[in-house]
Amino acid sequence: MSALAQRRGHSARARGRLSWRSLPAAPVSLGAAAAAWELVGQVANASFFPPLTTVLGRLVDMASSGLIFSSLRDSLINLLLGFAISLFGGLAIGVAMGRYRKVEAALGVYVYALLTAPSLVFAPIFFSLLGEGRGSIVAVVVMYSMFVMIINTASAIQGVPAHLPEMARSYGAGEGQVLLRVLLPAAAPMIMAGVRLGVGRAVTGMINGEMFIAVVGLGRVVTQAGGRFDSASVLAVLLVIIAVALGAVALVQAVDRRITRWVPKTARGDR
Amino acid sequence: MIEIRELRKTYVGQDGGLVEALHDVDLDVRPNEFLTVLGPSGCGKTTLLKCVAGLIPWDDGDILIDGTPVRGPGPDRSMVFQNFALLPWATVLDNVAFGLRMRGVGRAEREERARVLIKKVGLAGFETKRPGELSGGMQQRVGLARALAVQPQVLLMDEPFGAVDEQTRRLLQEELLSIWEEHRLTVVFITHSMEEAVLLGDRVVLMSARPGQIAEIVPVPLERPRSSDVGALERSGQYVEITAYLWDRLRDMHEEHRPAKAAG
Amino acid sequence: MTATTTSRPPRRSGTRGGRTGPRPARRPGVLRRVADRNLPYQVLTFVVFAAGWELYARGQGGLLIPSFTETVEATVEMLGSAELWRAMYVSNQALVIGFAVTVVAGVPLGILLGRFRGLERLADVYLNILLVTPMAAIIPLLVMSVGFGLASRVILVTIFSIVMVVVNARAGVRQVDPSLIEMARSFGADERAVWTRVLLPGALPAIMTGVRLGLGRAVTGMVIVELLMVSDALGGLILEYRGLFQAPLLYGTIVIILAEALLLISMARWAERKLTRWAQTTTARSVR
Repeated sequence: MSALAQRRGHSARARGRLSWRSLPAAPVSLGAAAAAWELVGQVANASFFPPLTTVLGRLVDMASSGLIFSSLRDSLINLLLGFAISLFGGLAIGVAMGRYRKVEAALGVYVYALLTAPSLVFAPIFFSLLGEGRGSIVAVVVMYSMFVMIINTASAIQGVPAHLPEMARSYGAGEGQVLLRVLLPAAAPMIMAGVRLGVGRAVTGMINGEMFIAVVGLGRVVTQAGGRFDSASVLAVLLVIIAVALGAVALVQAVDRRITRWVPKTARGDR
Repeated sequence: MIEIRELRKTYVGQDGGLVEALHDVDLDVRPNEFLTVLGPSGCGKTTLLKCVAGLIPWDDGDILIDGTPVRGPGPDRSMVFQNFALLPWATVLDNVAFGLRMRGVGRAEREERARVLIKKVGLAGFETKRPGELSGGMQQRVGLARALAVQPQVLLMDEPFGAVDEQTRRLLQEELLSIWEEHRLTVVFITHSMEEAVLLGDRVVLMSARPGQIAEIVPVPLERPRSSDVGALERSGQYVEITAYLWDRLRDMHEEHRPAKAAG
Repeated sequence: MTATTTSRPPRRSGTRGGRTGPRPARRPGVLRRVADRNLPYQVLTFVVFAAGWELYARGQGGLLIPSFTETVEATVEMLGSAELWRAMYVSNQALVIGFAVTVVAGVPLGILLGRFRGLERLADVYLNILLVTPMAAIIPLLVMSVGFGLASRVILVTIFSIVMVVVNARAGVRQVDPSLIEMARSFGADERAVWTRVLLPGALPAIMTGVRLGLGRAVTGMVIVELLMVSDALGGLILEYRGLFQAPLLYGTIVIILAEALLLISMARWAERKLTRWAQTTTARSVR
């Protein structure tokens, strides 16, 4: 059952490793692409592909008018609420599934199904349950980000070598102490890998939810700009979205590094 | 000290069949005795130890410690694990103090006691290191210090030196002997090495597999203290004789369980 | 895989034999047996969920919240309607073409990136960005450039799914044990033989994983593009029924889309198992 989570761990690992080992190559690569973007944009002169300078100019306009900041704030609130719920629920359900076979038997299949299902199809359901507003968007964010965290937490707890909780019990530790002092710390690296994936998915959920339920946030700006065929605005907001996504993942990585400092260096390089 | 009466334990194996891990095991461990348990893999020796530790339930029979039945893990026993079972995120100091922490000993006291034990196993100066930074031998010293820190009456050791290299193992054996000679705990020591069983034990319990039961208890009349000159001990006639005898018995057990090869 | 192992202290071989007594069976290998044992619990969960839904819908219910039974009826009814199957056909056209492009282009690309470090270092930034960025935001651009037709949907499906395939194929090539390549060379294998005999077979499990995960994302892309911009086919049905306040049909469409997604993903997983059985047995063995 852990194959998926593990293989997902793969891609997460690849991502983590790349981002730090290839630091020098990144600016070069980005710079080259920016130049190419500008050049192609100027030469092609297509309405749907404005040059980089036009997009950046539009970004400055949108920033000075305050539109970007108010939308960004709304989006971040959606993201934060949804991610907080996901994190809490993901840890609680994941620990229960990892620790108790019956819970895993009862929920495992459904969690997997919901992880792989296209999450946005639930948006119309949230819409009818929670109305046209922030609640629905937050629900979409939860739908996107919670399940990957549940599954990673559950496999992480199951992956703790059996002798560690046994050792704790031999010294008289109760279930609570075993969980708090042994299982959670031991599972932390893999739980954090799930959180990293979860935060990326949360950002996706936020944008998709906002685009579908276009009442607040960056997603609404994209939808509206798209409706006006205003490609420069779409790309400007896209740049902001990319920054939000990378920022959120970087934040989680920083937390991860603090929490899992004990993981030996050799193993860390592999992640 | 420890009385084991008609202990039975059966569990469901990986193929779904029933495995009789322990079949009517009767054993008395004397106070301050160093008892080694030797047997082929799968003979249930680790299961036996875990029952005594109170970590796993058994089906039938009794285990008494000083006349009190075992109901679960207790402060009178502590265990040294085969895979060390150290918390990889905790420092040496915190690992050694772990047992005390679980028993609600305050920070200052448990760290003080932990430091004493760390020094005793020769790890002074390594208090702030993490297990990942230590060699296998050093890790098991931490495991030993952790077990001794709670001041148990009985030390249960589950193939503690099985995962370290030969030379380290010799050093650890000598150190364990000198610690035991000083403290005179009751020790139950599981091993699959005949030499180790004879070198350390007052008596060697020989177990056979499928079902796991006690085949024979072999006394080891070698003089104590043994830690001073292990080399001379190993060259003595008695040592060689007992080791050879144990191997004969073990080889018989292995032969019995090789029907597939015999047929081919 | 590595995400798991990093959390463990180094494990010595042969230290976890069967003699450590009963341990709760943590990861039973045979899926079917587990499924059988878990079935009562799964059914229980479903019954609780369905009953809760039914009660909530009957109690709170409004125009937009159908009951469980109404939804089931609507789903069955829809399965017999031509409208649904036409929508299915249109939606899946984009899925099939887009996903085919992903596999044909993504696997070789991933293998190249895995084999040639220089190339990979340049591509890294973009793969990272593509992995975390919500691709849905480019839908308006697609519509502007290629219109509301099949092309936008195909392109979006490809964009959604290709990253997973590339990243996993790359990881697959890279995780092939270098000593195997040395071994092959020591027996006189040339570059071509190293590729066909060692690298590609070694990378196959990861590639298949990428294909499976990519398929999941392709389905997501198919649904999202229809929901957000190109009101066509299945996504179009959802929006239409929502506009008409036909809640049971709306929910029925969602159920059918979910069913299709899960069916496709299960098939991909089954194919992955069939094709990479050796990988599972070797993993299982190394766990011992």
